[in-house]
Amino acid sequence: MIGTGIKRGTAELAILSVLENGPLHGYELARRIERQTRGALRFTLASLYPLLYRMEKQGWVRGAWETSGSRRRRRCYRLTPQGKKKLSPIREEWAELFRALRLLTKVSNA
Amino acid sequence: MPDWQELVRRELACLALEPHERAEVIEELAAHLDDAFEDLRQRGLTEDDAVQRSLREVKDWRDLRRNIQNARRKENIMSNRVTQLWLPGFLTFTLAMGFLALVQHFGPRPIFFTASGTLRMRPPATIYIPWLLSLPLVGALGAFLSHRAGGSRRAVLASIAFPVVPYLVFFLLLLPFALTFEKHARRDIILPLFLIGLIGWVLLPGAALLAGGLPVQLFLSRRPRSSCVATH
Repeated sequence: MIGTGIKRGTAELAILSVLENGPLHGYELARRIERQTRGALRFTLASLYPLLYRMEKQGWVRGAWETSGSRRRRRCYRLTPQGKKKLSPIREEWAELFRALRLLTKVSNA
Repeated sequence: MPDWQELVRRELACLALEPHERAEVIEELAAHLDDAFEDLRQRGLTEDDAVQRSLREVKDWRDLRRNIQNARRKENIMSNRVTQLWLPGFLTFTLAMGFLALVQHFGPRPIFFTASGTLRMRPPATIYIPWLLSLPLVGALGAFLSHRAGGSRRAVLASIAFPVVPYLVFFLLLLPFALTFEKHARRDIILPLFLIGLIGWVLLPGAALLAGGLPVQLFLSRRPRSSCVATH
């Protein structure tokens, strides 16, 4: 299980990466991240929305209400051009960190 | 199935956002709980279990409310820290020092008690009773301001105890310094002086500040949700 501090740091990257594939509403976004990380990253309502709102304020994502086939209104988040621009340097930073950790700890596939 | 909208509205009644913004947040979070519930039901959980599991999405609604406010308000994190900690902290510090100066200037002259009856040196701490009596009010004000700005429990506590922090730091630095560098200093004198100073300038004022601040913090955090304090 990954520790809380690292999880917090990876949260933005996780959200931006998943939204890169298309808009999602909050619950689906959380489920997608949990599935794709095989449960290593898990967002609850309490951890997800403050972060989404902060990212929205920073202009990285944009939320808009949409009505689904079952006539349910859901707020869907999509990546903004600014968010797309932000994703690339964040990815590089993390890749660099993983490379450094790999060199330091000799852990493979870090 | 619970009425998620009603539940979220009740729990976030004090969410200090514009009405339309608050309504959006409530609808969105209710939709999330609804989705979680439906998902769990589809996975075979009973209705009761699904409700319980969905409710576990939020451990502390008060924390969530504060985090959402901090995330959606226009100010950045730095200014939240200013309003929740530094501003109430400096205000309590200024008030405490102001009261102390007033008491020292206009209050009754301190009476020094010694075991031998004669005072040979200036005491390391003078306990000003009128000043101590004023500190609960200062602590209460610090707690109120920090809580009103949406401060966490830690920020509220720090705001309450702020006036004694400089003294605490001073004493914590003074003792090791005196013991390390003052070669001629007698440890049998320094340690009691340090203890008296610590009690007079940190422990007693700290207790007085907390005596006023903690009840206010307790009262405000248990206040009914209908009587929200605006945190704009």
